[in-house]
Amino acid sequence: MYKPLILRSRGATIGLTLIVLIFLIAAFAPFICWFDPWDYSSTPLQRPSSVHPLGTNAIGQDILSELMYGARTSLTFGLSVSAISLLLSVLIGVYAGISGGIIESILMRITDVAIAIPSIVVIILVAAYLQPNLFQLILILSLLSWQYGARTFYAQTLSLKQRGYISAARNFGAGNGYLTVKHLIPDLYPIMLAGFIIRARYAIFMEAGLAIIGIFDPTTKSLGLLMHHAMEFAYMGTWLWWLLPPGILLALTILGFSLVGYYFEETIDLRHRSMSSGRF
Amino acid sequence: MFGKRLIEYVIAFMALIILNFVMPRLMPGDPIDAIYGNELVALTPELREQLRAQYLLDQSIWSQFLHYLYSIASGDLGYSYAGKAPVIDIVAGALPWTILLVGTALFGAITIALFLGIESGWRRGERLDRYLFAIFSIINGIPGFFIGMILIIIFALNLKVLPAGGAITHYAGYTGSEYAIDVARHLILPATALCVSELSWIYLLMRGGIISVINEPFIKTGMLKGLDDRTIRYRYAARNALLPVFTRIGIQISQIVAGILIIEAVFTYPGIGYLLHDALLTRDLPLIQGILLIVTISVLAINFTMDILYPRIDPRIRHV
Repeated sequence: MYKPLILRSRGATIGLTLIVLIFLIAAFAPFICWFDPWDYSSTPLQRPSSVHPLGTNAIGQDILSELMYGARTSLTFGLSVSAISLLLSVLIGVYAGISGGIIESILMRITDVAIAIPSIVVIILVAAYLQPNLFQLILILSLLSWQYGARTFYAQTLSLKQRGYISAARNFGAGNGYLTVKHLIPDLYPIMLAGFIIRARYAIFMEAGLAIIGIFDPTTKSLGLLMHHAMEFAYMGTWLWWLLPPGILLALTILGFSLVGYYFEETIDLRHRSMSSGRF
Repeated sequence: MFGKRLIEYVIAFMALIILNFVMPRLMPGDPIDAIYGNELVALTPELREQLRAQYLLDQSIWSQFLHYLYSIASGDLGYSYAGKAPVIDIVAGALPWTILLVGTALFGAITIALFLGIESGWRRGERLDRYLFAIFSIINGIPGFFIGMILIIIFALNLKVLPAGGAITHYAGYTGSEYAIDVARHLILPATALCVSELSWIYLLMRGGIISVINEPFIKTGMLKGLDDRTIRYRYAARNALLPVFTRIGIQISQIVAGILIIEAVFTYPGIGYLLHDALLTRDLPLIQGILLIVTISVLAINFTMDILYPRIDPRIRHV
């Protein structure tokens, strides 16, 4: 029987399973939950019961529902940031690589400077002034995390440009646009996929981190915000059903993405290229 | 090489200074309102006039910018009305705690990670390596602040053996060795959380590095020369395996900084990170700007130092 390559690695299989499970929770949250996570009509700070399997929070919201909606926000955030910043890296890296000349120098100088800037500082500074909502925060983080990928795709484009089939196509009269769409981009798919996973992991971590420092959109439900609130009441002994579930769910999500990420890193040997591991 | 890198760092620094300068002026309304316009400060007309004069808001944008540069250069980062003190003094008060915490945690993390990474990579596939690799792969997936929260719950809330937060016991009047023990007791949990979360990725990189050089000819040569095993591991293999760790630190630094800020916030450890957390909560923008400026300068300085050190660790790069 045919078995996809990725399922032959035990780590990657566990990782994929975790991602799929969390995806299902996030996707079907509105159908599984029997409470609206924003509805604060229950008695606050209840212990777990058959009605509220994880109890209620300090303002009487059902924690299980918060958890599932939180997974939803965290995944949405992670995947959106990952997709947008990946798109930016590919555009900038490939365009610089294929254009050469002055465009190449300018784009790569900008990239180098962007790498030198500690992006966490910019995120906090901008967020402190703008108090961004979820959508704006996705944009801010995406605009601040394309630079490492751009270097990778630039280096890849340069090395692909040396290949025989590219110069063959060029000699047949193919222009830069045609080469990019028909040859370069398809060749970069594996690296893009690996990059997507690694970035998603980084962004999901960032969501939680930003929520803990207190700059995540407080009107949403996210795993980080849930933990942030739970920690304030940890001394009351509520941590067992309030703090641990979002923490474990977050850790499992990040672990899932890491395991799949390791697999890709090993398969296409990204180890020595400058790609952030998205560790936190 | 250095000249080019130095220029990049200068541009990066200027970009952040400009962002610091532009943000309040981009906000709708008066920059004074953007910076000080929250409930914490009673903006009397006199205070407003005084601030306008202080920031030269009636003059051109260029003289405002030059004035801003001048005040930063002379160490004036503004005044925190919430903290009722100059920003530079507040930051200077918090900085030693951060240095203590980060220094302890990173020293521990690097020492342990290098040792375990080398031993584990050298014994690739053996039982010790398999266990270590599995454990650290999992820990690498757990955010540092969650490790910290669990430590607080176990050791502070349930076992009640260590304090849950802060850096010293207030009003206890400890002196001398009692004070040192008190500081150490407060340091253990946050430093462990930070250490464990940084440990895992350094270990994984180090192990990978060792595995990738283990079959290189220079290792074989060393063995054939009859060098003792430890010399080969620590002087030959480790030195080369260190290189990816060094390169990665430069890339990771933003995340390391974020990790430190978050850990301090979780442990209410009175360093830069907790200060920032508080400043964000009260929207004390002069303080936020000041802290971020200090963080930026430190990160750029560390990265530049790494750039200078790198050719010394890897002499090959001098010839590229």
